[in-house]
Amino acid sequence: MNAPTETTSEKKRVWGIIASFENAQDIYHACENIHQAGYEKFDSYTPFPVHGLEKASGLKRSKVPIFTFIGGITGFILGNLIVWYMGDFDYPLIVGGKPLYSPIFPFPVTYEMTILLAAFGTLGGMFLMNLLPQYYHPVFNHPDFKNATDDRFFVVIQRKDPKFEMNETFGFLEKLGATSVDYLPE
Amino acid sequence: MSADSASVTVPEAVASGKGKDFSTIALIVGFIGLSLAGVGLLLGASQHNSRYAMSWLLGLSFWLSLGIGMLFLIMIWYVFDAGWPVIIRRQLEHGLAAMKWLALLFIPLILVSLFSGYPGLIWKWMDPSYSLPGGETVASDVLYQAKSGYLNVGFFIARVVVYFGVLVFLAERLRKVSFTMEQDGDVKWARQARILSAFGIIATALAATFAAFDWFMSLSYHWFSTMYGVWFFAASIRGATAAAVIICILMMQNGRLGGGLFNRGHRYLLGCMLLAFTVFWAYIVFSQYFLIYNANIPEETYWFNDRLFALEGGLSAWGWMLLGLVFFHFLFPFLNLLWYKTKVITSRLMFISAWIIVFHLVDLYYNIIPRQKTVEITDANPMGYVVSPVIYNGLDIVFDLAALVGVGGICVWAFLRSMKTVEVIPIRDPRIESAVNCHE
Repeated sequence: MNAPTETTSEKKRVWGIIASFENAQDIYHACENIHQAGYEKFDSYTPFPVHGLEKASGLKRSKVPIFTFIGGITGFILGNLIVWYMGDFDYPLIVGGKPLYSPIFPFPVTYEMTILLAAFGTLGGMFLMNLLPQYYHPVFNHPDFKNATDDRFFVVIQRKDPKFEMNETFGFLEKLGATSVDYLPE
Repeated sequence: MSADSASVTVPEAVASGKGKDFSTIALIVGFIGLSLAGVGLLLGASQHNSRYAMSWLLGLSFWLSLGIGMLFLIMIWYVFDAGWPVIIRRQLEHGLAAMKWLALLFIPLILVSLFSGYPGLIWKWMDPSYSLPGGETVASDVLYQAKSGYLNVGFFIARVVVYFGVLVFLAERLRKVSFTMEQDGDVKWARQARILSAFGIIATALAATFAAFDWFMSLSYHWFSTMYGVWFFAASIRGATAAAVIICILMMQNGRLGGGLFNRGHRYLLGCMLLAFTVFWAYIVFSQYFLIYNANIPEETYWFNDRLFALEGGLSAWGWMLLGLVFFHFLFPFLNLLWYKTKVITSRLMFISAWIIVFHLVDLYYNIIPRQKTVEITDANPMGYVVSPVIYNGLDIVFDLAALVGVGGICVWAFLRSMKTVEVIPIRDPRIESAVNCHE
């Protein structure tokens, strides 16, 4: 496929360049090279998890655990607040000779709140970090992309990457041994 | 997966191993420690001082708990056909070499109870004339009479034989199965180990549970807790996981598991198990406290009262120890292990594992050592008993350390001796490839 002419790029801006590979080794080395070349905004799509690909791509660890942790702490504090508010502040009532407020006898409340909000934190954090929900994604414009769930391995370098140069990046991907390289319209 | 395709060549420098042979030194240290602990046992018997004799029980239980935990870990890995821990399993199999010696080391506890002339030295229910608070003796105690069908010396010894029969049989059999596979490379051994483990987990669970009832819970035989066996299991497997980390990191550093054999992936996964069992231990220990606290029944709460409150009110030293366990045996390791870096950076993982092992010992100390001593009922002490102090006179701690070092010396000796007999990793295990290529 040729570089888009003036008229096509006016009609549809290029979102990125997609390269397809035949097997896991090829995409692994491609990602290594792309990372070493200094690209940051690129992503790979494989039919099955390729171990070590995230390291080869230079991805950092997910930030989701931080959301989980904050959710858990919030849940723990909230659970204790609930117990204190109900048992000691709003309606003080001695039950079974227990103190009005203690973190021990109502521990299931705080414990379950911790787990619940930690789970919410994880789910919410995952959505946030993955920028979900996304109802539209340009990779699906590629006619072959459905094969990413079968036997094709794709790498997409986004146009917004600071190192992105329309023709240079295209040639770079071709040199990495891709079976096909295409422009992805936005 | 056939046996032929599953062999891995080990670099020669790794297979031969470097460093000096410490097994003889360990054995000598073990004998010295055991002799000193034996002095404690006899001194306790002659002075009717239980505390000196308890050192032996404490030292033995510490190493035994690690052994039982390792047995559990190996069997769980077999049952799940886990690939990544195969090279770690081999190191734990060396640990299991100590099981038969631990069984032997239990015998002095029975001998001293039977033949020292003071049967209530360790387990007071063994002595019918042991005087209880309020002027009763064990023989006239209604609670003992009701429990005597289970708690009697003959049945106790029979059960000890059964417990160690199960533990030693499984330990030796799993070692043999794994080591034989090394020689003939036959996959049938892997199948056999899996079937053995499926039954072995149940057998070990029962043995460990009832052993905890007999050896530790029956120290205050009025008390009962159905969580107690699970506590012992949780503490054991947690301690064993920490021990596995320490063993593997030490072997990585001296080169036997070097060259990337014990890699970041193994550390991460072991760290995750350590975190899981930290939470599990806390869950079990808290549940036991929580249920007894909430039910508030005197025959259950007294065990915690003894371990929480001083006679004059307020927290006793034991109570502070319990709080210490909450914060240092749970909260700190928990928060620390949540961190990804703790699980993969060798020095941090080593630190937290050593920390957990140390507090595992404190946990055992807290469960085993506190003991009611009958005294006159007075206005100041209407209970009729005092709880033994955390530190009795210093000599007890000396005997504790002697027993720990002594039994430990024997365990280390058995471990090192076993290590010489077989390859450093099970190179013909059907799962060895996924273990060597383990990743997060």
